Amino acid sequence: MATVTFRNVSKRYGAITALDSLDLEIGDGEFVSLLGPSGSGKSTTLNLLAGLISADSGTIHIGEREITHLPPEQRDLAMVFQNYALYPHMTVAENIAFPLEARKPRPGKDAIARNVSLVAETLGIGNLLARYPKEISGGQQQRVALGRAMVRDPRVFLLDEPLSNLDARLRVRMRRDLKELHRQIGSTIVYVTHDQSEAMTLSDRVAVFAHGQLQQVAPPREIYENPVNTFVANFVGDRETNFLDGILEGEKDMLFRSGSAVIKLGTQRLKNASQKVTLGVRPEAVTISRNADDGMCAEVIMTELAGAELFVYLRLISGQEIGMRCDPREVSLVTGETVSIRFDPHQIHLFDQESGQNIA
Amino acid sequence: MNRNPYMRLALRRAALRTVVNTVIVLFALAPIAWGVVSSLKPANQILEVPPRFIPQDVTLEHYERVIGDKGLLFLGNSALVSAITIVFALTIGSIAAYAIARYEFSGRRILMIFTIGVMSIPIASLLIPTFTLLSVVGLINTHVGLILLYTAYQLPIVIWMLYGYFLSLPIEVEQAARIDGHTALGTLRRVVLPLSKPALVAAALFVLVFSWNDFVVAVTMTSSESVRTFPVAVYFYLGFYGREWGPLLASAVISIIPITAIFIILQRYFISGLTGGGVKG
Ligand SMILES: Nc1ncnc2c1ncn2[C@@H]1O[C@H](COP(=O)(O)OP(=O)(O)OP(=O)(O)O)[C@@H](O)[C@H]1O
Ligand SMILES: [Mg+2]
Repeated sequence: MATVTFRNVSKRYGAITALDSLDLEIGDGEFVSLLGPSGSGKSTTLNLLAGLISADSGTIHIGEREITHLPPEQRDLAMVFQNYALYPHMTVAENIAFPLEARKPRPGKDAIARNVSLVAETLGIGNLLARYPKEISGGQQQRVALGRAMVRDPRVFLLDEPLSNLDARLRVRMRRDLKELHRQIGSTIVYVTHDQSEAMTLSDRVAVFAHGQLQQVAPPREIYENPVNTFVANFVGDRETNFLDGILEGEKDMLFRSGSAVIKLGTQRLKNASQKVTLGVRPEAVTISRNADDGMCAEVIMTELAGAELFVYLRLISGQEIGMRCDPREVSLVTGETVSIRFDPHQIHLFDQESGQNIA
Repeated sequence: MNRNPYMRLALRRAALRTVVNTVIVLFALAPIAWGVVSSLKPANQILEVPPRFIPQDVTLEHYERVIGDKGLLFLGNSALVSAITIVFALTIGSIAAYAIARYEFSGRRILMIFTIGVMSIPIASLLIPTFTLLSVVGLINTHVGLILLYTAYQLPIVIWMLYGYFLSLPIEVEQAARIDGHTALGTLRRVVLPLSKPALVAAALFVLVFSWNDFVVAVTMTSSESVRTFPVAVYFYLGFYGREWGPLLASAVISIIPITAIFIILQRYFISGLTGGGVKG
């Protein structure tokens, strides 16, 4: 069983708290992404798990075994580094074989060679075995790094932004390959990224970090549809979420009022009665409304046609800017035009203005 | 003639540079050249006035005399002491330097400062205390005694050179080796040291030059012929042959040859960029 359990794990660097009492459980065979902006503690979490740095407090288990204080070589993990960290003085074949040579008892030469060529074939680098890392391309280096991790069938795979050095096309292709790889080998994978679309497309669950604190762990869809706070709502999704500050009115049929704009929320069950709220709505939940009395007046300030989608920047009367995402075949707008817009009530999120926590 | 003024300027610069370099080279090599040439002259022509650069008669008699007179034994002693000193200094030095470079422990900064500070103590001031120490432990007049002293003298500079180089290596490569299941020592041996060849070669040459050429320590700590190193033997020729320059020059030339050869063989390591390509970004 290769589950991973963090219990109350903290790591400080002087005054900086890189990781603040992390509690996280990762299931056997699960693909979990650690997502967050730069400096949020993702690499710290991964390095703690790998044993490259030591925790100030808390415990880490892999399966039943506590590994908090074990050196890296005794943890039976494999890791792919952001910069690949291939051994420059070894050929591709020697790089991939290196983890096997640490095994006790050491496997025979034939067994090692067989394993290496098997892994190399799987990754399509069988023809590169005799080359040195500096003689192959970035994408190929990345595969070698993956191969080095795969060859030993570890209990957990750790990947620290392994795709960030690749160009956009290759990144999308490697993403697919990774997912396919996970399907084939079915092992537990912890994947660090600051690219939310990577996290959303690859993982079974996403763990969102900010300022050394775990914000939310959930399947991608749930993270997207039910963000626990404004940070998660804003960070996940490839366009920024629209936020409006305002106050709640009414008992059953609730109204949200922000300046002159009033939005009907219908019946909402609030976890926490609060008057001052922040309303969050994703750009795709903003639509042009047919009948003018239902919506809010907004002026088109800019449009961006991005392939299959049209992204429109609007300005409300209050001066607030709103992003709207729509289908260019259905909507055509010109800059300066005034339109009436509405928010899909099912896709509206309400957050406490003070704490940023989701209340509906 | 070339009319392009830039080309002319460049040519003139190149010519000037060649002249200056030639003068420097001549200045540095002249004594050695004179030594080599004179060591091939018969004894009565060495101090001839006016001096002749091209010898009238060429003879190898001085070399035969040096080699015949236990020269090979002394050379062998020097080689043995130097080789083992290099192995000791690099083995201990690389482990120490790696620990200081990569492990966090209290006092490591002070340890490094101390190591560098020790380098400034002149060896002459240590001769008498170390002589006493070696006599007490019974290592006076032995190869082991010399090797231990040389290692101790050279360790600080070896540690310092390797420490700087280790710090410049990408740490992820070492972390990868640890995660791949290799111990700290295994990582040092199979990843760090192979990547540090240029620094190891440079450090080894430092140790070699010191232990091969050392006279003052060896003459103090050894007395019998069986452990005598070559530089000490050269000194003894002065006494044995009176003012005979022939064997003296011949032995000086002999002692230069191995070091020069080793430098030429290993020079490619100084330029090499071995770490390229393993780490991206
Ligand atoms: N060795 C260190 N010394 C001091 N502070 C550190 C050290 N390593 C990390 N930190 C700090 O800890 C915090 C978390 O760092 P971490 O590397 O985990 O971020 P990250 O989420 O991986 O970011 P990125 O996406 O930039 O890699 C940051 O504020 C960082 O400055
Ligand atoms: Mg990081």
